[in-house]
Amino acid sequence: MRQAGTYSGLLSGGISGRTGPHSLPLARIKKIMKKSGEDVKMISGEAPIVFSKACELFIEELTLRSWMVTLQSKRRTLHKDDITAAVIATDIFDFLVQMVSDSGSRGPAPAEMET
Amino acid sequence: MDRKGGGFHACQRHHKSSSGHDGDCTVREQDRFMPIANVIRIMRKVLPTHAKISDDSKETMQECVSEYISFITSEANERCQREQRKTITAEDVLWAMSKLGFDDYIEPLIAYLRRYRELEGVHHGSMRGEPLLKRAISMGALAPAAYPPAFHMGHHQGLFGGMAGCFMDGSGATSSHVAMAGYDPYSGYK
Repeated sequence: MRQAGTYSGLLSGGISGRTGPHSLPLARIKKIMKKSGEDVKMISGEAPIVFSKACELFIEELTLRSWMVTLQSKRRTLHKDDITAAVIATDIFDFLVQMVSDSGSRGPAPAEMET
Repeated sequence: MDRKGGGFHACQRHHKSSSGHDGDCTVREQDRFMPIANVIRIMRKVLPTHAKISDDSKETMQECVSEYISFITSEANERCQREQRKTITAEDVLWAMSKLGFDDYIEPLIAYLRRYRELEGVHHGSMRGEPLLKRAISMGALAPAAYPPAFHMGHHQGLFGGMAGCFMDGSGATSSHVAMAGYDPYSGYK
């Protein structure tokens, strides 16, 4: 599938490379889409573009919901457990429940690092 | 397992493309996730300035995003296969998102797509667009007013109900137009 020019300037993010640094890399999105199933064949040029914005909305929503859990515990550092709690509390994030429970074995718990 | 080193990793998680799990996977760790810098930037956009984010939160968010993409794509792909189409379109993605409960995202996504196509149209002249947007624009469904925030509690079935004709009707705009009559896209947001 070739759409000449569709990806030019888009790989580094932004619509036509001119919007702010909000967008996510389209080539990476497309890779992840292809890996979602053996039988994923062709992907239109616009599908990854929809995802770049949708992922942004998704991250914003999940982050905010997690932060509300952080606030309830009167902390100022968002921890993975807050994300887990937000996932469990939100119906549409049910598809993540397994994953946030599974990945407890990532190695030693990192020290709280400030950024 | 140490993710911080990037590159190859001892594989604790299944992924479909590797043929053997002897610790050396052909798929690089970075390729499975969105770049962490981008993810952090988006997280910071919605958090207060004093907020701090632990490293494991950032990594977890990366994983969640990839899972989200796969989740939606699988549903969109199933629809394509049912309808015997080979290409997953933007419309398929939007349909899948709505079906899986993310209908609050639909409106801002349509606006985003429209803006993209306006910009691309300037450079590439007549780029043959996908039917979704043309039909939506001709029905006047894309109100120019500002869009509400993306995260609402609950589902707005009324929104999707009205737009259903736009997404799923392949036969033309007529029936969709009837469905849209008297429709107020913002009734759910007041």
